[in-house]
Amino acid sequence: MLSYILKRLAIAIPTLLVLIIISFLLMHSAPGGPFTSERELPPQVLANLNAKYGLDDPLWKQIGSYVWGIVTEFDFGPSFVYKDRSVNEIIAQGFPITLTYGLLSFAVAVIVGVSLGVAAAVRHNSALDYAAVGVSIGAQVLPNFVMAPILVLVFTLWLGWLPGGGWQGPEYWIMPVIALSTSFMASIARITRSSMLEVLTSNHIRTARAKGLPERRVIMRHALKPAMLPVISYLGPAFVAMITGSVVVDIYFSTGGIGKAFVDSALNRDYAVMMGVTILVGALTIFFNLVVDILYGWIDPKIRY
Amino acid sequence: MKFRKTMTASALALGLALQAQAADVPEGVTLADEQTYTFWLLDAIKSMDPQINTDVEGSDVLRNLFEGLYNEDGNGELVPGVALDHKVSEDGKTYTFNLREDAKWSNGEPVTANDFVYSWRRLADPATASEYAWYMELMQVENAPEIIAGDKSPEELGIRAVDDHTLEVKITTPLPYFPQMLVHGSTFPVLQSVVEEHGDDWTDAGTLVGNGAYKLVEHQLGERVVMEKSDTYWDAENVVMEKITALTINDVNQALTRYLAGELDRVDIPAGQYPRLKKEYPEQAVSTPYNCSYIYMLNVGEKGPEALKDVRVRKALAYAIDRDIIVERILQGGQKPSYNWTHWAIADFERPELDWADNMDQAQRVEKAKELLAEAGYGPDNPLDLTLQYNTSEDHKKIAIAASQMLKQVGVNLTLDNYEWKVHTDRMQSQDYDMARYAWCGDYNEASTYLDLLTSYSGHNNGEFYNDAYDKLMKDSKTAEDPQPLYQEAEKILAEEMPIIPIYHYANVDMIAEDIEGLPENNVNNTWYGKDLYRVAE
Repeated sequence: MLSYILKRLAIAIPTLLVLIIISFLLMHSAPGGPFTSERELPPQVLANLNAKYGLDDPLWKQIGSYVWGIVTEFDFGPSFVYKDRSVNEIIAQGFPITLTYGLLSFAVAVIVGVSLGVAAAVRHNSALDYAAVGVSIGAQVLPNFVMAPILVLVFTLWLGWLPGGGWQGPEYWIMPVIALSTSFMASIARITRSSMLEVLTSNHIRTARAKGLPERRVIMRHALKPAMLPVISYLGPAFVAMITGSVVVDIYFSTGGIGKAFVDSALNRDYAVMMGVTILVGALTIFFNLVVDILYGWIDPKIRY
Repeated sequence: MKFRKTMTASALALGLALQAQAADVPEGVTLADEQTYTFWLLDAIKSMDPQINTDVEGSDVLRNLFEGLYNEDGNGELVPGVALDHKVSEDGKTYTFNLREDAKWSNGEPVTANDFVYSWRRLADPATASEYAWYMELMQVENAPEIIAGDKSPEELGIRAVDDHTLEVKITTPLPYFPQMLVHGSTFPVLQSVVEEHGDDWTDAGTLVGNGAYKLVEHQLGERVVMEKSDTYWDAENVVMEKITALTINDVNQALTRYLAGELDRVDIPAGQYPRLKKEYPEQAVSTPYNCSYIYMLNVGEKGPEALKDVRVRKALAYAIDRDIIVERILQGGQKPSYNWTHWAIADFERPELDWADNMDQAQRVEKAKELLAEAGYGPDNPLDLTLQYNTSEDHKKIAIAASQMLKQVGVNLTLDNYEWKVHTDRMQSQDYDMARYAWCGDYNEASTYLDLLTSYSGHNNGEFYNDAYDKLMKDSKTAEDPQPLYQEAEKILAEEMPIIPIYHYANVDMIAEDIEGLPENNVNNTWYGKDLYRVAE
């Protein structure tokens, strides 16, 4: 197990390097640059800017010194657009925000989704089942960019219960978490339900019931664990989708999170921020997939690494 | 703006100091207990450094944290800032500013002429690599181009401190509107000791030292900026507003919802919603002229299409577009249809009579357009195909679709190309387009901020329209006793040559809370200062 983890981590390094090089080249091949603006800069001013940010070096040298800065000093460079700040400062401010509402959304999606799915499967074809399926389909077809303005309309403008956006305390977390978690919650509920239905008809459940175990124990101890396998494999991509979804949350709820910075950096050609966030998201994706694989092995003893 | 004309007289001290400063609360008005003002920002503030900032939104914040030589009042007229008044030399090239002695930095140190010297040098210094370094060139400060090019040292810039409270600036050509340009944020002073001690971090909340009426208390990037009244400001006793907050909300509709929920005191109205809001909230929905002009730029240069080199075609394109429909049906926010380049509300500027604008109705223009196209050899058998590119935005798209329908009537097939902002700009700047959506916002309240753009020596003339007579007019205007007639001539040349298709002049369409007073009502740059605001009790 340990050697497997080490091996995966070792593969992660060249993966990240390839990610860095490809993103770097793609970024630089897009038309325009960080200092392209409506007011075209006089050539001399542009030259001064390019010199300051090292953009007048050949690309290979830029990539080289960029990677070197990361490896030796963990320095992701200065932002080309938010000039008072370094990439490290931008990530240090935005990432904890995204992480907070991301993890909360994740927890809500898993807890509510699994409970809903299990309840629906156990009470198969009952009113509860139909209600759960209805809710989850409804929640899934409602994209977060539709849901976010509706939430603000209802809870801020009409009811006046919650602040319409910003990031000052727990009351600011509620709407972002609802907006971000709902569709994942719905997917998890549906996956759990169908997986649970399948497990409930399997031999070991029949055996468990036959030996007279209480139904509650059958479900919680014998059915839930194997039923979780497809859910867990869904969590990896769900995590990545949540990062993407955080853009919408940042835009509609003005959280100041990293998702908006990610999109802006691409639009602004803020190469350094774009690279910094790409590496962060890339590393998190690799890490999360690893966690999912480890969970797999823990849940299903048949899987050995 | 009257005093500008008198300025050519030398050694004239301006009698500005007597004018009202800070919040001008009329007698009998009861102030609210809580003096707070919350306004909306579309995006995160890119920089709080006066010499680095390039954004209008950044300037809105900077004007509260710093103070330049002059400020503007609600009508766009100059009022004293750190400078009480100034004298101009006989040749119009040397300005001597008399600085107030009671101006202080937020750390208690006095604001001196040397602070301005340091900051202006810093703006031009290649080491600063400011995107607004060109503003020093625009101001014609002596040696600015050479310093930016690295050929001279920043110490050679035409600015010097005669003593602590006397500042002398030398410019290369007399600029009648030079004092107007001093309202711009990039000319604000910064404190050398603080900048040098903290480097790029000097603008962090808690570290930033300014000389404005407010000090920076909190800055959460992309979330909010909080400023509180500064006790060291020279006019602090007349500053009523205690706390100013800027909230970043990236979606304009969301911002409106939050305004309606009472979270904001001012917000932009999304396109098309002004009529409804005006009806529902007549006291809050306001539309005021705003210093930007929306056009379709035509590529008349080498790389442009053959057809656009023909002035008849250019005129036909301009004539065929019905601006009233665009303004009244699409934008619906009090914008004005435009037939010329300079914004109608620019101080002292009066549009000359233009045949196509004043003596024709739209039906006649369309007829004329058809005639001109036929003369140029285009018609049903030989239709004219052009592309119109615009940057991503719902409004630009709607206008482009309308324009393509209008041009179809006269037999022009317009292909619409949508690009994201940077690509759009990049293509325009490399003349890789036929027609392109463009807007220019004036740097100051004077017509040359528009008209200079279309000279052959301007850095922004992306349509490559070169006209000697036009260039000469603009050069002459710099030294003319009264440049206005020259500006009118320049506009006439534009109407005759039609290198750009004017579409409309911007308006600021806002919701403003009823109890907030002191925001400018007649300032085309919408330059506002927190120190002028106050909230009345309900």
